[in-house]
Amino acid sequence: MATNLPGSIGTRCDSPVDPSRRRLLAGLLTAYTASLIPWALAQPAPHADRGAFTALSAILVGRQALDAAQATRLYDALAAAHPNFPADVQALLALINERHIDPLQLQGVLDGEHSPLAPLPRQIVSAWCLGVIGSGEGARCVAYETALNAVIVADVLKPPTYAYGSYGSWAAKPNT
Amino acid sequence: MPAQLSADIVVIGSGIVGALAARRLAQQGASVLILEAGPRLESARIVAAFRNSPLKGNWMAPYPPSPWAPHPIYVPKDNGYLKQAGPYPYPAEYIRAVGGTTWHWAAQAWRLVPNDVRIKSLYGVGVDWPLTYEELDPWYQEAEEILGVAGADNTGSPRQHPFPMEPVAEPWSMRRFRERLAPAYPVVANTVARNSRGYDGRPACVGNNSCQPICPVNAQYLGINAVEAAEAAGAKLVPNAVVYRIEHDAKGRIAALHYYAPDKSEHRVTGKTFILAANGIESPKLLLLSASSKYPNGLANSSGMVGRHLMDHPSTSLTFYADEELWLGRGPQSPSSINTLRDGAFRSQHAPYRLDFTNISQVYGVTNDLIKEGVYGAEFEKQLRWRAARQVNVKNVLEVLPNPDNRIALSAEKDAMGIPKPEAHYAIDDYTRRAAEVSKADFARIAELMGGTGLRYSAEGQFANNQHITGTMSMGNDPASSVVDAFGRTHDHENLFVCSTGVMPTAATMNSTLTAVALALRTAEHILPAKQARAATAHAGREADLA
Ligand SMILES: Cc1cc2nc3c(=O)[nH]c(=O)nc-3n(C[C@H](O)[C@H](O)[C@H](O)COP(=O)(O)OP(=O)(O)OC[C@H]3O[C@@H](n4cnc5c(N)ncnc54)[C@H](O)[C@@H]3O)c2cc1C
Ligand code: SF4
Repeated sequence: MATNLPGSIGTRCDSPVDPSRRRLLAGLLTAYTASLIPWALAQPAPHADRGAFTALSAILVGRQALDAAQATRLYDALAAAHPNFPADVQALLALINERHIDPLQLQGVLDGEHSPLAPLPRQIVSAWCLGVIGSGEGARCVAYETALNAVIVADVLKPPTYAYGSYGSWAAKPNT
Repeated sequence: MPAQLSADIVVIGSGIVGALAARRLAQQGASVLILEAGPRLESARIVAAFRNSPLKGNWMAPYPPSPWAPHPIYVPKDNGYLKQAGPYPYPAEYIRAVGGTTWHWAAQAWRLVPNDVRIKSLYGVGVDWPLTYEELDPWYQEAEEILGVAGADNTGSPRQHPFPMEPVAEPWSMRRFRERLAPAYPVVANTVARNSRGYDGRPACVGNNSCQPICPVNAQYLGINAVEAAEAAGAKLVPNAVVYRIEHDAKGRIAALHYYAPDKSEHRVTGKTFILAANGIESPKLLLLSASSKYPNGLANSSGMVGRHLMDHPSTSLTFYADEELWLGRGPQSPSSINTLRDGAFRSQHAPYRLDFTNISQVYGVTNDLIKEGVYGAEFEKQLRWRAARQVNVKNVLEVLPNPDNRIALSAEKDAMGIPKPEAHYAIDDYTRRAAEVSKADFARIAELMGGTGLRYSAEGQFANNQHITGTMSMGNDPASSVVDAFGRTHDHENLFVCSTGVMPTAATMNSTLTAVALALRTAEHILPAKQARAATAHAGREADLA
């Protein structure tokens, strides 16, 4: 299932970019992390903190394109909720860059080392995949039908409360 | 403030049960006033509140309690409204708002099976009902025609007349269960108040898969539809009117009701006949609260049984991965079940049960699981799709026997209006636990037939609750052991009737709302008989011999 998100960074590659802002996301990556998200190499990264967030997000959620507007919204919300967020993001990206940590091993590594960065991946993945910032009573919903867990299955399912289709359309074998 | 503070009939509670009794009585020309503790809600706002909620698994999120009429909330944390006296927790859920709890029900609208009302005679357990299934049949039919019930004849509940609608189209996932479990287990369409075609001005289901928390298109019948119909028939409704006392006269007849408005101003409403329909927990609470020097144990409580015999349907379950893509979440949430274990000689040994399949989208749960497990990177998307396509769940719906120790009492703690909170005393006995044990073999066999892997049984000794509050104002012929008679009239007060799932003397294995509605229509008929022609039809139906 490919995203059909209009503002996806992946579709913006050839749009003209202000030369003064031509700092690229590639500059924040090593060969290892670049191999995880090859699409990101040519993405503009005018702002190091936000660029690092985009790169780290892409690594964690394993996507080859991320919606730019959503990235801005989620970054702002996460940064507002967690004071150290920008620095933590930079630090975690640096850690993955240096130690070539497989995303699938990442949580285990951070937990095993009692890293202060351990809560960070879940915060970021919850934001992208559930559309939720924070937890418990302080939790806030920032996305629903554009959260990645809806986008990833959008070819088969509609998020609950959205009509699946005309009466009886669900009787057919799902077309995947 | 309402212009009218007196009526022929005054109904406490605007849930589906009270509102449909009110509607029928208003149609007969009675003046009807409904006092409802909660506010009016708007469907579109509920939908928006759900979409904006950070806890999509919490169906109560779009229904925050009002300070003057609280209801229990457990997530993200217990609001402490329904006190738990133990030994087993009873986390009942309901909504105090105009239209009541069916704003977020699953619309399963089942009849009992005939033997459910005779388990004492047949199996030596529980109690017999003071009426027969045959007597209930025409009232079921009337209820099914009002609600718009879709169903098939193969569920074990006989009927004289056809269902108003064909069963709702079977989701692919349920078709595969049906095909693969046959002939070991017949999987049949659930009987539901959900439209399989346009019915009574409401559209056919379009598969939003959000029946609980809210059907955005009103393809399933809701309490608010009953309220609107009652109002259209002439009933008046006062929202935000928290009844806190039922007043009797020297002869023991009910004279008036007292309610608080949200500003705690006190109001008194008089009437000729009163119907208590504030659900299976708030209704007995109100009877206990209304104790007086003449009735020191509360109204309608000369038997001491008000609030006792609390029952519900506990469930254990099995979650697993089928060996093919089923993609739960296409179509309605509760489409199919296995009904062959609802009755049998085994009932003398252990509880009967229904086996119910969910069709709730697994995406939300799986996403949470993956985040919890720390599955990141390309594997996240792969796993999400794999699990959401294959994860399924089957649960039992177990009967609980009436036991006077299980009960709703008044807590010493009070709510913001100064009204005592309800307190639940609850335990799940061996009769029910044995059935949970027996059903594990069914779970295992079902998983085997579906090529199941990754089997996850619900934790040993842990039961989920199904919110079918029953028994707390049980009906019976003997005033010494029951609260109301077979027509819902309290034994102690001639002009006080109860319409509620709480009048059911046993819980059987079926979601209880349709039975409560059928009984409420019968109560309404008893209070004020319908016009000649209708009465004749109902009577003919009642006399008819059921196959
Ligand atoms: C998640 C969920 C799913 C369910 N699914 C099903 C299902 O599929 N099938 C089924 O049969 N049942 C189901 N149920 C149960 C069903 O909702 C109840 O059986 C049904 O709502 C009972 O109707 P009622 O009118 O008796 O009570 P309610 O719907 O609870 O209405 C009672 C009304 O009384 C009002 N009230 C309370 N106290 C006072 C007071 N002091 N003064 C004035 N008014 C008061 C309340 O505000 C409320 O509006 C489900 C319940 C839940 C929570
Ligand atoms: S599936 Fe959708 S349309 Fe159908 S009843 Fe449920 S919420 Fe309503």
